[in-house]
Amino acid sequence: MVSGSFGTGARFSGQAAQTARLMLYGLIAIVLMAMDHRGQYVPRVRNAVENAVEPVYHLVEWPIRAAGNLAEQFRSRQDLRHENEDLRRQLLAQQADLQRLDTLREENRRLRALFEGADSLAFEYRFAELLRVELDPFSHLVLIDRGSDDGVTVGQAVIDGAGVMGQVEDVHLHFASVRLISDPNHALPVQINRTGLRTVAFGLGETDRLVLPNVPREADVRIGDLVVTSGLGDRFPGGYPVAKVTTIDREPGQTFARVEAAPLAALDRGREVLLIHSNVREPAAPERADDDPQTTIAPGEETQPSEPDEARAARPEDSPETSQ
Amino acid sequence: MNARRDRYPIILASLAVAALLAILPLPNWLQVAWPYWMALTLIYWCLETQGRITLGLGFTVGIFLDLLTGSLLGLHALSLVIVIYLVNRFRARLRFFPPWQQALSVFAILMNDRIILLWVISLRGDPLPSLDFWLPPLVGTLVWPWLFVMLDRFRGGMRLRATR
Repeated sequence: MVSGSFGTGARFSGQAAQTARLMLYGLIAIVLMAMDHRGQYVPRVRNAVENAVEPVYHLVEWPIRAAGNLAEQFRSRQDLRHENEDLRRQLLAQQADLQRLDTLREENRRLRALFEGADSLAFEYRFAELLRVELDPFSHLVLIDRGSDDGVTVGQAVIDGAGVMGQVEDVHLHFASVRLISDPNHALPVQINRTGLRTVAFGLGETDRLVLPNVPREADVRIGDLVVTSGLGDRFPGGYPVAKVTTIDREPGQTFARVEAAPLAALDRGREVLLIHSNVREPAAPERADDDPQTTIAPGEETQPSEPDEARAARPEDSPETSQ
Repeated sequence: MNARRDRYPIILASLAVAALLAILPLPNWLQVAWPYWMALTLIYWCLETQGRITLGLGFTVGIFLDLLTGSLLGLHALSLVIVIYLVNRFRARLRFFPPWQQALSVFAILMNDRIILLWVISLRGDPLPSLDFWLPPLVGTLVWPWLFVMLDRFRGGMRLRATR
């Protein structure tokens, strides 16, 4: 195109300049993309600039939030009473579960001491809300309304009421972006809860499927098995539910079975999420360094005060809803 | 002369609306078919104004859109620069096409844009998208005549107010 345009006079020289400009801009764009993809320089600059974009998110968010509030205003007493009743029932059931949890936690502590095991972590949860903006549909990113001002750090695990959602990828002042576990570039160390079999869950780019590609063909996996985080890799704390096994494809001749699982967290619907702060370390059992593990379960040590209790509770004052 | 200079605020306002439409939260079924508003708006202004929509403007708008949507930096910039280049190249012909033929050309431009996106996706090593990946250009083509009329009205109204 460029070679042809030189001979034919002024009308085409504009065209040639246009083409040259297209090539220049195209080249810049491609270089930027490559640098962004490989994580050189660009992400840092980008992080700074994205803070400037934040007001736009609020601008989009505002009318939807306002409409939601309005709908809340006009809900009938009847509805509210029903919901209240439901919630109370749920609370009762969960309190019953929690009572058992207390004894289990004690037991767990004793057993860990017996094994001279690693000290368990106590976690602190912090409430956050998803911003209702739709980002690029090809990257599984969502935004939450907490940022470095609220102590969010890169790599923090994000869960909702049902299971693991993802991890914090980018932190800005007042918001942060979270990479969902369904992202094709996301891998999550997990284990099958029933058997303890450890594997890795990969995203597929769809919010309702994960794949566990390296489960041995003869491994004991059944449909409906719960998949939980294994805590390996130090990003996600162990023991949080991730998904339920939906299909198992044991093709003869293959070393691995193809196992797929459906995430438990509402990746495409959820609005309220919890951020896990895992830096609160529970004091280790006092006699850990002892030569004989048996001595660590001396009767006096069994009933330590359960100090993580207040740390475990999600902080309600963080939530904008409850403050009204 | 004055009327021509007055157009920039109108163009920028419509581009801002297109940017907001890009991040509007939508139900899933609508999201997969959501047209590329920014490209459509830029095509309109390219056709209707002479030399206002430069490649540089497209690049800047694209970078802004990348930051806004959190996509790979330069992705929208590349796609918009190519869209603008194509429209400017065939502007003389496109302007005098009957509406249905113009809509078809818009369809071709949007498809071309999708193919470039596909190229970037495969370069990144992401899995190839499913069939509904090709839905937005289709919907964009259907929306095009209405958008054209609407922006024409909008522009006409603004011009009247400016001359008064």
